[in-house]
Amino acid sequence: MNIEVNNLDYTYPGAVQALRGVSITIQAGEQVAIVGQNGSGKTTLVKHLNGLLQPTSGTVMIGELDTRKVSVAKLARHVGYVFQNPDEQLFCRTVGEEIAFGPRNFGFDTQKIENLVNDALQLVELTDKKDTNPYDLSSTWRKMIALASILSMDTDCVILDEPTTGQDAANVARIAHVVSELKKRGKTVITITHDIDFGAENFDRVIALAKGQVLVDGPAGSVLGETEILAQTYVDPPQLTRLGKRLGIKKTVRNQEEFLSAVEKLNM
Amino acid sequence: MAIVNLKQVTYTYPLTDTPALSKVDLQIKEGEFLAIIGPNGSGKSTLCYTLAGFIPHFFKGELEGSVEVAEVETKSSTLNEWVMNVGLVFQNPFNQISGAKYSVFEEIAFGLENLGVPREEINPRVEQALIMTGIDDLAERSPYSLSGGQQQRVALTSILVMQPKVLVLDEPTSQLDPIGTREVFGVIRSLAERGITVVMVEHKVEWVAQFADRVVALYEGQVLMDGKPREVLTSDQLVGKGFGISRYTSTAREAARRGLWPKKSELPVTLDEAITGFKK
Amino acid sequence: MHERLSFYLKRDSLLHSLNPLTKLTLAFGLTFVAFLSPWYWTPQFVVLIIIIPLSILGRIQREYIFTALRLILPATAFLFVMQALFQPIGKTIIFQFWFLHITRESLSFAFANASRIFAMISSFTLFLLTTHPSELMSDLTRRGLPSQFAYVIISTIQIIPQMQSKAQTIIAAQRSRGLETEGSIFKRIGALVPLVGPLVFGSLVEVEERAIAIEARGFTSTRKKTSLREIRDTGFDKTLRSILVLMVLVIIVLKIRAS
Repeated sequence: MNIEVNNLDYTYPGAVQALRGVSITIQAGEQVAIVGQNGSGKTTLVKHLNGLLQPTSGTVMIGELDTRKVSVAKLARHVGYVFQNPDEQLFCRTVGEEIAFGPRNFGFDTQKIENLVNDALQLVELTDKKDTNPYDLSSTWRKMIALASILSMDTDCVILDEPTTGQDAANVARIAHVVSELKKRGKTVITITHDIDFGAENFDRVIALAKGQVLVDGPAGSVLGETEILAQTYVDPPQLTRLGKRLGIKKTVRNQEEFLSAVEKLNM
Repeated sequence: MAIVNLKQVTYTYPLTDTPALSKVDLQIKEGEFLAIIGPNGSGKSTLCYTLAGFIPHFFKGELEGSVEVAEVETKSSTLNEWVMNVGLVFQNPFNQISGAKYSVFEEIAFGLENLGVPREEINPRVEQALIMTGIDDLAERSPYSLSGGQQQRVALTSILVMQPKVLVLDEPTSQLDPIGTREVFGVIRSLAERGITVVMVEHKVEWVAQFADRVVALYEGQVLMDGKPREVLTSDQLVGKGFGISRYTSTAREAARRGLWPKKSELPVTLDEAITGFKK
Repeated sequence: MHERLSFYLKRDSLLHSLNPLTKLTLAFGLTFVAFLSPWYWTPQFVVLIIIIPLSILGRIQREYIFTALRLILPATAFLFVMQALFQPIGKTIIFQFWFLHITRESLSFAFANASRIFAMISSFTLFLLTTHPSELMSDLTRRGLPSQFAYVIISTIQIIPQMQSKAQTIIAAQRSRGLETEGSIFKRIGALVPLVGPLVFGSLVEVEERAIAIEARGFTSTRKKTSLREIRDTGFDKTLRSILVLMVLVIIVLKIRAS
């Protein structure tokens, strides 16, 4: 299932043009990080992918579906959107019920729902809390519940909206683990993030937006090295990338492994 | 001279069994910049609330041990008196706006109005505070029209204007974007340079390493380590417990294992330290 | 984020410069007059001869008339129709349709009622448009209103725009989980729990934080509060309030005598 954004323009009522002529193709199974300063259009763009926003002009195709012709609830079968604040969606009495909400809306049979819920619980390390009330758990775990409630929908594409903001290192690691699992399962994962290190380490493609337009779009390895271009939208390169450059390493390194291998090569 | 003195502080929230803080001893000197690190659930926010007097005066529960600020013990004081000595700023900028005031200037004056400061004094104090935190250009704006970083600086200024002896900041940048984070850290740093006693809970360890005088690592409600930033932040004791560790530190640690990091060198926390080390 | 937390419009006018308590008294006073006066056309008189000129004095006439036409009129018209149709009194039937009938008495009563409510909402709209909540709170607190009471009012006023924006996000989040929000009435009712639940629970988490923030600013301090802006309470204010109270008393007497 490919995602095709074609010449997308979007203007908010009240006349702020948030997107200008954005064209992007995301193929099934890609992991994409969308970066850029606040106001560059990241959230606006991503809200078009599950139909929450409709193009002012241009088209957004989710597979064969035109987002202007299908409801948000129907698009939700293909694109799951994980919102930033779990407290703005949790309402069930137990963790298990909360996670079952999505698949239940799809009308799946009881056994299938049970399997999906258990799978999701396991991915976020909450299997033993299935019957707990979400509000009895800390905000760290409520974030995981919200994530699991989208995972259980088993959509082809998962969108993460600023997943690591306000999270501690342990939760960031859990989220990274979920992303790699999704990658293994061939899912498309799209994230909006300010945490460029998280983006670099877990996503293979980086799209930088500025003032409603695509500034640069390509493999993480090349985009993250474009320091001056990224600076236009107030994005700093990842820490290890910066370190690598300052030490004279030519390749743009994205994570610890790449960095250390490059240092080893330098030494030889 | 210790302005803050915590002795064997143990606190358990109402309706829970496990203490959130366990036998914590902590002394803070006047003018010190102390950073507190720890995984979620380690007691960082509890410690902040205890320093700020909300424990035990707002959150009931059991508090044992002694909590002294400027030689006054918390149990013999009231929250109203305590907030004049200890100011608290926390994560969510939006929730710290009173909603009662039309402009940033008035918002900052709010605390002084509550304390009964005479009108002639309020104006100059607010102006001074605005300049100290660099937001005098925002004075006439509505607090709700500001960005997260701006709102957080307004919250900071609103507390600072009350001239507390100790400023407690609980993850002040965790909900902000990179620009907002930079703005807020800039202000905190200049305050610390002026000699204000600051206690800050923070995950962004590279920044902490550059500007804090001292770091306390909390784990499961207890003080795990207490010492100089670079010592604590590169310690092996932090590994595998959920602490946020600088990528420079963990990369250098792995590099050392592969013989790529100079043997006698201390592990780095910041970019510059890493550069220096790897160059060798 | 919502820039305006209240209906207050900052203008330079006679009304704005009145003490907040005076304006509140005015709103109550006009309401009592509209409700208690024995003369049938009192509410219309109050609106046309008092409220509209006052709105001009307060330089908010455009906003008031806009609100009156877009909000108050439809609401009270609806009330009028409902009352006329479903609360019949008297015997003089002038209209009949199936099982519904309208009597002259109920028409008359419903019209009077709707007019009074129109006058009431109008006088309070006038008040809200010209009084900033913080000024009102400061004034009342200075006169002895306990601060906890004031906080409840402040936080209630704040909650509305906050809840609005939260509600939007909640609806988006639940729709993104496959919740259908359109369609049959049953579907729409079923959609309420996943929408209202998080609104309530999520807000509770925030209320505690706000309470802490406001404590940290000394809000519950027992010291006498001062005020940055001078809230004047002039002789004119005091006189006006006395006149209003007197006026209400006179109307009450007239009403008692008329019945």
